[in-house]
Amino acid sequence: MTVALATFELTKRYIDGERRRVAVDAVSLSIDTGRLVALRGPSGSGKTTLLGLAGGMIAPTSGDVQLFGASIVHLRDAHRTTLRRERIGFVFQELALVPDMSLLENVLLPLVPTGGAGRAERERALALLARFGLQGREASRASRLSGGERQRGAQARALLRDPSILLLDEPTAHLDAKGAAEVVSLLAGLRDEGRTIVCATHDPRLANDPRVDHTWTMTDGRLMDPDAPRPEAPAC
Amino acid sequence: MKRHRALLEHVLGALFRRRGRNAAITLGMAALVGLFSSVLFVSEALRAEYRALAVTLPDLTVQQLVAGRPALVEAAAITRIEALALPGLASIRPRVWGYLYVPSIEGNVVIVGGAGTDAPGVLEGGRWAEGEDEIVIGNGIAHLLGARVGDELALAGPGASPAILRVVGVLSGQTAALSADLVLTTEARARALLGMTAAGFTDLAVTLARPEEAGVVAEAIAAALPGARLLDRRLLERTHELTFDARAGFLGAVMLPALLALLLLAWDRLTGLGDAERREIGVLKAVGWSTSDVLAARMWESALVGLVGATLGLVVGYVHAFVFGAPGLADALFGWSSLHASLSLPPALDFAQLLAILGAVVVPFVGVSVVPAWRAAMLDPDRLLRGGP
Ligand SMILES: Nc1ncnc2c1ncn2[C@@H]1O[C@H](COP(=O)(O)OP(=O)(O)OP(=O)(O)O)[C@@H](O)[C@H]1O
Ligand SMILES: [Mg+2]
Repeated sequence: MTVALATFELTKRYIDGERRRVAVDAVSLSIDTGRLVALRGPSGSGKTTLLGLAGGMIAPTSGDVQLFGASIVHLRDAHRTTLRRERIGFVFQELALVPDMSLLENVLLPLVPTGGAGRAERERALALLARFGLQGREASRASRLSGGERQRGAQARALLRDPSILLLDEPTAHLDAKGAAEVVSLLAGLRDEGRTIVCATHDPRLANDPRVDHTWTMTDGRLMDPDAPRPEAPAC
Repeated sequence: MKRHRALLEHVLGALFRRRGRNAAITLGMAALVGLFSSVLFVSEALRAEYRALAVTLPDLTVQQLVAGRPALVEAAAITRIEALALPGLASIRPRVWGYLYVPSIEGNVVIVGGAGTDAPGVLEGGRWAEGEDEIVIGNGIAHLLGARVGDELALAGPGASPAILRVVGVLSGQTAALSADLVLTTEARARALLGMTAAGFTDLAVTLARPEEAGVVAEAIAAALPGARLLDRRLLERTHELTFDARAGFLGAVMLPALLALLLLAWDRLTGLGDAERREIGVLKAVGWSTSDVLAARMWESALVGLVGATLGLVVGYVHAFVFGAPGLADALFGWSSLHASLSLPPALDFAQLLAILGAVVVPFVGVSVVPAWRAAMLDPDRLLRGGP
């Protein structure tokens, strides 16, 4: 089993006005390929920041991130760009679509710098949108879509280049029970195709789903002991 | 290549999405470039026209001053100059000309007597004046009076009753700014119209075998003729060019702050990249656009806006200067006879000049709009998507 994603003493500090704040505090973890992993924790605990660091969207203050054994921390812009484009599918918590472009245009956006979309790419994009239950909405402006539709549109876009690692921030945030269950099934299916998937979430519908291979918990920027027993779902 | 085509397609979409803002910037740009290029076109046209006309001027002009005022040059002066036996001298021609106020056009015209084919200007229609009652008129007068070849005009000299004169020729508009107000006729008729009864002349036109000797010849003539004033063509040309440069330069100085204001405005609008635009850059970077992809798109966008705006401005400037005769600007640039204000300028356009204007406007504009995008594109996508500065 190869390691898809590993971090070593990964730290991110922000200077917010006068105060310094440690968003991610010396996090070391390792995730094998083909795993579906959830990262949970209270709001402000650093989930989004850790995900961004892992996906090369944020530069760390110190520590290292390795994708398939290669460090991405000291990459130059061009390489980091290739990485974002080819290897990683990243879905932000929100605002990840350009509001006044159509859904399809948004999905095809990653292809523009390499020459735009041909017929094959368009068909792939339409198929992905259909897989995420968005058929018929391709031509709608992103600003006219619901929060859940936008979130799923961004997920479809992340898969356009068939990345080996998928990093998703709150993938079930705007969804009702049925929608959330669908997304979890989708993610499990993508995992079964061999992809490594990391989700930041505070949604127990995702974090506690039995198809999730492992759940890590963050508090105040620190990762709880990964070998500790998995917390039980609270009885409702 | 494929990359740039795809980027350009994306940019066209972006231009359309931000059409309100882009239209405003394009129009502002067009207005400023229009004003600026109009001044440039008019002064350049005048300069070109003067250059064409200067060829017909004599190398030296001899005038006579009495008590500081120009007086008539006596015929004896010609013999005195000839007696000097100056080696470079080719010919001496006495001229009769002067200004005549014409009430019907509320302005002065220039009466020139005895001038034939050596008269300033080129005939547009008809022939040169030969008979006592014949005249050739400048384009400006013809235009103002609606006169054509075959028409008759009544002109009155000081204290004389009007004479009916037949228009036999009209001067071409090609040298309009300087020949627009000319009336060419025979020497006798000119003397009558100008009230020149004495046997003197207005001035002497001296042609030289070698024009570069003008200085030496002028000195010799001035020494032989007390009270003579000598005008050197090359000096006149230089003065003329300087005058136009000064006038155009003045207008340029007035417009420079306006131009700066536009740049500042553009800077302000573009440095304050809206939150939406910062987010958009964040999205692009997150999905795998490199900093240079973002910048290339930005460059295309502002180059298109700048080029369209500046080209529109050049068209506006051209139409203002050459179709409408530069209303509002002509007074400042011509600044003399009221006749000139109504003349139509012949276009004198230089392709290199047009390119220079385009470059001078578009290049800084693109620079100004790329810098803020560049600063944003250097940030982490996460930072851009979270919003704020
Ligand atoms: N660019 C930034 N500048 C300053 N502080 C930041 C910045 N980004 C994040 N933070 C801070 O870092 C901490 C962790 O933020 P993060 O977004 O990672 O939390 P989160 O666990 O994703 O929370 P949520 O569940 O609400 O999304 C927060 O306290 C946040 O205020
Ligand atoms: Mg978050």
